[in-house]
Amino acid sequence: MNPLQWLNKRRHDSLTQEQRQRCEQLPNSQALDGTELKDTRLVVVDLETSGLNVHRDLILSVGAVVIEDQCVDLGSQYECTLYRENHQVTESILIHGIAPSAIAQGVDAADALLDFMTFSGECVFVAFHAAFDQRMLLRGLRLDLGYKLRHKFLDVAEIAPMLYPEANLPKGSLDEWQAYFGLLNSQRHNAAADALATAEIMLILLSRARTSGIRTLGELNGKLRHWRRLRQARIGSI
Amino acid sequence: MTREDRYEQAGKTAVMQNVHGTISFLLAYPPFNQMEHAHLAWLVEHAQLRFYAAGEHILDPQDGPVEQFFIVKQGLIRGERLLAGQQETDTTFEISTGECFPLAALLGERETRTLHLAGEDTFCFTISRADFVSLFRRSLPFRDFALRGVSSLLDQVNLQAQQQASESLGSHYSLDTGLAELTDRKPVTCELDTPIRAAVRLMHEASVGSIVITDAAQRPLGIFTLRDLRGLIADAATDLEQPISQVMTANPSHLPSCATAFDAAIAMTSKHIAHICLVDNGRLTGVVSERDLFSLQRVDLVHIARTLREAPNLETLIALRSGIRRLVDSMLAHGASSTQVTRIITLLNDHSVCRVIELCLQQEGDPGIEFSWLCFGSEGRQEQTLHTDQDNGILFTCHDNSATEQTRQRLLPLAKRINQALADCGFTLCKGNIMAGNPELCLSAPEWAERFGRIINSTTPKNLLASSIYFDFRVVWGDAGAAERMFQSVLKRIAGNSLFQHQMAQNALMHRPPIGRLREFILARSGSEKDTLDLKVQGLGPFVDGARLLALANGIANSNTLVRLQALREAGVIEPLDADAYVEAYHFIQLTRMQQHQQQDRDGRALSNRIDPDSLNHLDRRILRESFRQAKRLQASIALRYNL
Repeated sequence: MNPLQWLNKRRHDSLTQEQRQRCEQLPNSQALDGTELKDTRLVVVDLETSGLNVHRDLILSVGAVVIEDQCVDLGSQYECTLYRENHQVTESILIHGIAPSAIAQGVDAADALLDFMTFSGECVFVAFHAAFDQRMLLRGLRLDLGYKLRHKFLDVAEIAPMLYPEANLPKGSLDEWQAYFGLLNSQRHNAAADALATAEIMLILLSRARTSGIRTLGELNGKLRHWRRLRQARIGSI
Repeated sequence: MTREDRYEQAGKTAVMQNVHGTISFLLAYPPFNQMEHAHLAWLVEHAQLRFYAAGEHILDPQDGPVEQFFIVKQGLIRGERLLAGQQETDTTFEISTGECFPLAALLGERETRTLHLAGEDTFCFTISRADFVSLFRRSLPFRDFALRGVSSLLDQVNLQAQQQASESLGSHYSLDTGLAELTDRKPVTCELDTPIRAAVRLMHEASVGSIVITDAAQRPLGIFTLRDLRGLIADAATDLEQPISQVMTANPSHLPSCATAFDAAIAMTSKHIAHICLVDNGRLTGVVSERDLFSLQRVDLVHIARTLREAPNLETLIALRSGIRRLVDSMLAHGASSTQVTRIITLLNDHSVCRVIELCLQQEGDPGIEFSWLCFGSEGRQEQTLHTDQDNGILFTCHDNSATEQTRQRLLPLAKRINQALADCGFTLCKGNIMAGNPELCLSAPEWAERFGRIINSTTPKNLLASSIYFDFRVVWGDAGAAERMFQSVLKRIAGNSLFQHQMAQNALMHRPPIGRLREFILARSGSEKDTLDLKVQGLGPFVDGARLLALANGIANSNTLVRLQALREAGVIEPLDADAYVEAYHFIQLTRMQQHQQQDRDGRALSNRIDPDSLNHLDRRILRESFRQAKRLQASIALRYNL
């Protein structure tokens, strides 16, 4: 027996025929093109993970709400806790609050992620500190499904300071932005509630984008790139 | 578990977690707090969350039929209507967190009549018209609410007050109970020629306190009560075999059986009787006795009124007056409206004033001068609360002009004595010396006419202030004829003096209702009055001043604000819908003020009209804000009318 076999063992090798089929049928991603923001399906996603290391930690639960036609449809949301074998309890349980018993009852990771990707459809993902969620999801989908995630991500933590420079929160947290917009949210820190909180901020940002003349995904992306460069330049000049 | 099930399950978990939060938000507001949990969950699952930036139009009359139902999650919606002939729009209503709109337009399948825009950054839950209709069909509380609209909020406040009262007092009916419900027994009757002894036997057998004498068609001709019998027995010469018609009280006072317990109490109190016949279509259907008004007997209304009127001396009267506080307390607890309470207080105060005058006349000796006792200000408007000071005067008859001064000098000692006695009874002496004991307010009819004339013709600030007091006037004791004739001529002068009206209009706009464009209420910023607003000056003031101006300008003599508004409505001066809204708003502010006074009195604090809106519950605060907004609208209409 090859002692290094576990290294090569990809979980997606054990996918069932049905899971493979579903994986192949997953919809395409939405490009950041001339599609108008109001016609875009935006899926606001929030992941709870076993930790903050994008190379090691696993997705424990996925929460998502959808923004379509400038509004959040409360009847169409997604939340799923994933089954993880040998799940180790770490201090991050204090943050995500998902009990080991809930993990033990969770849905098979491959199924859960397939469900989530089907739910999301042809969309652009939105998240707060999107880079983290993007990398977690990218790795999770690769390991569990052998699927290459091509979906684009928009980062609320970037769009907010770009559209609301007067807030003076260049590195604001979700809580700080919530406070800035005076949003009252009772039950934060489960994936779905965090996603909803992020979605509320996104609604405000979409409204501001509309009045600022940003109509399409492409325009928003362009502005973001410009803003990033400006910020880099400013940091460099200091 | 199949894939579809699992997929649905994942959706449900998410929905349940976020839906749960939304439901607990909705549960804080009517009508959602009365709806079944399943219906609420259904509502939320079919809802969308939308954001509107400040100033954004949400519903526009030009958009066509309304397609969505909105619930404000947070923020403020303003309803604006363009008034004919005005450049600026008029905010006709404000909708804040927990409230929903539009109801009338959705039910009527039409466009809104009012432009709805976001007054500040606002989040709304929306559901489609189809889902609204579905919910409307499923949920009874939601349907009731939608059909009755905002006015049902006021009903709910009243209902709440009564429920609380019945919980604490164990009483199961209120002042609004119909008299038919209070009398289940057939009335005991006899005919005109029935001998007294036989009639009393009938009463004894039925163990009732009264017998009604009727004709063949059951029309009540007279009444005979145990009190009458006591008088008869005391007189040894009475022949108990004579017909009852000889001793009965003819033409007994009566009410229709649909009248309320409150009506009966008022009738008993003002006429000093203990029994009232119920008559429908000319036929006797029942008798209500003082004892039948069970809850009222506990509040001692009839008893207090009678003993006040019959108090043998000032000391007794003073002792009796303390009962009025208790009375008002239990009346409020029984769900009496502010009008009912002010009517009772006015009635009892009038009884007290009359008795004080009579007692003083007994003590001082009658000067033999015909005079009537006038009262001004809130007493004149019949709008007194527990917090009352004296504003009064005397109008005396003097046929010989040269003797006027001499007559006044003879009356003044009596007037001063009455003022002092009233003060002893709890009517605070007037700081501005607007009292009958002041020689300037103890005048003959021509002198009063001249005084009013001066106020009208020379509009100094002092005179304007005076007008707000003296023009709310009423005769409490003595002949009213002379005073009323004098006031009719005053009304004519006002109608013909547009300058005076103009000045009064300016005066009526002086106290602005304490609501702002952005904030809920405008409160005092510092000092001991920090974070409070004045219910009397800022809330009731605009209605009182506005109604006075319009009433005087249109020849309406009555001084009560609500009667004035009613008369203005009938005269077509104020639109019916507006008048109703003003009346409702006035009621609510007055009720809030009274409840506060009662609470302060119970706590042994000084009575004050200043209130911290945060001390009110959510619903009351909302209605108070709406009431202030009505005051603002009344002022706006006056400003328009007088080009201010």
